[in-house]
Amino acid sequence: MVQVGFYFDQTRCTGCYTCAVACKDWNDIAAGPVNWLRVRAIEAGSFPNPFLAYLFLACYHCADPPCARACPVSAITKIDSNGIVVVDRDKCLGNKQCRSLCRNACPWDAPQFEREENARMQKCDFCRERFDRGEQAVCVESCPMHALDAGPLEQLKLKYGDSVEAAGFSYSARFKPSVLFKAKPRN
Amino acid sequence: MPEDNNVTIIPTGCCHDCGGRCVLKAHLKDGRIIRIETDSGEEPQYRACLRGRSYRQRVYSPDRLKYPLRRTGERGEGRFERVSWDEALDTVAAEMVRIKEKYGNPAIFLGSGGGNQGLLHNADVIARMLVNFGGFTRTWGVASHEGALFASMATYGTMHTGNSREDLLNSRLIIMWGWNPAVTIQDSGTSFWLAQAKEKGIRIVAVDPRYTDTAATFAGQWIPIRPGTDAAMLIAMAHVIITENLHNQSFIEKYTTGFDKYRDYLLGAEDGIPRTAQWAESITSVPAETIASLAREYAATSPAALISGWGPARTAMGEQYSRAANMLPAITGNIGIPGGFAAGFMRAYTSRQRMMPGGPSNPVERGAPPRDDSLYKLRGGTNPTSVRIHSSKVYDAILRGRAGGYPADIKMAYIACCNFLNQHPNLNRGIAALKSLEFIVVHEQFMTPTAKFADIVLPVNTFMERSDIAAPWLGSPYYIYLNRVIDSLYESKSDLDICRELSRKLGILPLYGDSTEDELLRARANARYDVTDYDTLKKDGVLKIKLPEPVISFKKQIEDPENNPFPTLSHKIEIYSEHLAEMNSPLFPPVAKYISHWEGYDDPLAEKYPLQLLTTHDKARTHSILHNISWAEETEAHAVWINTADASARNIADGDLVDVYNGRGRIRLPARVTARIMPGVVDVSEGAWYNPDENGVDLGGCANVLTNDEQSPGGAVPMNTALVQVELVPATQEAD
Repeated sequence: MVQVGFYFDQTRCTGCYTCAVACKDWNDIAAGPVNWLRVRAIEAGSFPNPFLAYLFLACYHCADPPCARACPVSAITKIDSNGIVVVDRDKCLGNKQCRSLCRNACPWDAPQFEREENARMQKCDFCRERFDRGEQAVCVESCPMHALDAGPLEQLKLKYGDSVEAAGFSYSARFKPSVLFKAKPRN
Repeated sequence: MPEDNNVTIIPTGCCHDCGGRCVLKAHLKDGRIIRIETDSGEEPQYRACLRGRSYRQRVYSPDRLKYPLRRTGERGEGRFERVSWDEALDTVAAEMVRIKEKYGNPAIFLGSGGGNQGLLHNADVIARMLVNFGGFTRTWGVASHEGALFASMATYGTMHTGNSREDLLNSRLIIMWGWNPAVTIQDSGTSFWLAQAKEKGIRIVAVDPRYTDTAATFAGQWIPIRPGTDAAMLIAMAHVIITENLHNQSFIEKYTTGFDKYRDYLLGAEDGIPRTAQWAESITSVPAETIASLAREYAATSPAALISGWGPARTAMGEQYSRAANMLPAITGNIGIPGGFAAGFMRAYTSRQRMMPGGPSNPVERGAPPRDDSLYKLRGGTNPTSVRIHSSKVYDAILRGRAGGYPADIKMAYIACCNFLNQHPNLNRGIAALKSLEFIVVHEQFMTPTAKFADIVLPVNTFMERSDIAAPWLGSPYYIYLNRVIDSLYESKSDLDICRELSRKLGILPLYGDSTEDELLRARANARYDVTDYDTLKKDGVLKIKLPEPVISFKKQIEDPENNPFPTLSHKIEIYSEHLAEMNSPLFPPVAKYISHWEGYDDPLAEKYPLQLLTTHDKARTHSILHNISWAEETEAHAVWINTADASARNIADGDLVDVYNGRGRIRLPARVTARIMPGVVDVSEGAWYNPDENGVDLGGCANVLTNDEQSPGGAVPMNTALVQVELVPATQEAD
């Protein structure tokens, strides 16, 4: 089975949030709590030796996604042909009824909910329609720094190596998130 | 394969004053923009940032101004009623005629800015209409760059001092001085070139009071420096270079003039104070050894690029920083060679201003003598006429007029392409000035803090609703065609169409005759040798010009000086400027000097207001544009940056609501407690919209409530020179 995933060059990211806004525009998501793609600033150190990095968080489309295991009604599944993790929003019970089990299970907050009562889960779907047409995810094409890539994980490994380390990120050998990094080193 | 057969993709672009010009591709379905993409074509790509990607929200914002409005409440209150275009333009025309007849044309002030930067749709259309009406009063002194421009003219006689960005890869050392292109863009793609330079192993150093996104991403070393003292460090670097005999003597002899006089200043021959690294340490707070080693490294590494950003020149003696920056490449020979950089104004490829046609001169300015503190003998810099008002002094000029020594008694403001009140220093003084005027008309897309002071507000369309051509912001080799994507929304019109209708009502010459938008754009494109086919540009939306080699400013002057003099009065690089010497003023020294100034770190006022305020650019806004667009605004909260130690001394925790204040006003916003700014300095990014409570405390966090409406001697707008204090908001007030 092919597993698709993301590559993120943390050394190039300037924290411009273009990917996050491009994602909202493409998927027509209002400003507010739903962020299929999140950019997190990681600040450490003290003056005059601060450290700053940004982390790209979308859905890492785990090989063994904890959200899918947590879902009481199996609304979250992986697409056989490419490993994209998708949610069936008709099946989803809503976050009030199930108490956000998927969100709580995900270390990276990929499952997202509107503020409305008993909101159904939504999240990054790897721009699967674009992917099916042979196009890149909109975040990848948006990045002014060319810091993102996406595609079959094995191909990404050939291109970028197999590092799964980045500032602000802890790899889970259990869930096997489909993401590779070029980490920003601590100075 | 298209995703949807009913979607049309229209190439257009983004053209506000962010520092970039980027490709946008609008997806149109059933007459509505549903998505936006960017450049996915050949390299280099001009990919839009979050500002362009959030533009759909701006076009369809429910807050767009839909109809012409007439004020019904007090100025600034924001109460208006809908009127027809006819009624609105009749009112504007009648007031213009009345004021012209009663006070003369100089009483009409044009307050314009870089709000729209298309080659056709910009504030120039209003200026042309006002010229046809008999003239008007306008400003000089561009907030962004006036200090850098003054110094560039004084040293090199031109603003064309830059190399195209791909040349960064030819450097062996890049010093980014007060330069933050990750946020200020400085031509689309600049940050990506910096990433490639870093990945090539080129050493990059950042000098800045803040650990900016640019410094954090690209620099191997961050040197924090006190605001307003950059000139002292640059001068000390020159001292180290010449006293250690690291300067390029043959270059200096061949291409420059006045080196001896600068050396005298550096060595203290005039006043007994040698400008050593130790001297600069006490001023800049940068350790002497850091200064000396950077100087040695810059002199020993060839080629090296010192890129002097414009921000440190937005200070009370801003020109001296830019002049001092220009001196380092001049004494080390990093000019006119690949991988070097002359500093200066930094324009490279000349696509931009060449496409702006010259127009008839302003009758109000005809025959007026030049300002005696201007570089009037040089061409290509700031217009030196003495009847313009410095942009920092507009409010003072309105309030005091001719009696206060200004060239006009202003009675009416015509404001377009500019959120004037929000974006000029000392906002509270601005309110008093605007309230004193007899008539104000504002062209706007939203009810900005400025529009609230208008008598008539005219709704303008966005660049998605008209066609235009955009040339790069600073100097890269490409053009963008902005195809009109949708019809103008509601009753909005372009500035051009508004001025055409108003010209008819005024009975003056038609603006650009009867030419259509397409004819005007075609004519401008055809006037350029590098735009080979207008229709192809229009169809493709972008024209990327293939250069045989990078643009290297002054290459010809260095290779063949006999036949290619520098465009200065001496035909050489002017380390010493006779033009400045003739001004005979300590504020205009003929060589670069560090001059202590008001509201600097050493001003006695610092006892009361101990923190130096920066008002930097925000990554989610283009100045004040996009403040009200939630996709952009939610990315990072507007906050005052304050160092951990300064915050702790005031019991301020990250996220606490604080007041930043001085004698000019008070703003309230959250604190961002961080090690990314040096102690003693705070930063409120400019552009957040002024939003006062009943006590006049600005809850919007507009930086210009705190800035000073003064100018530097050479015209720099001192947006980064102000002293403030910060305190926690008392709990009782916070609850309100």
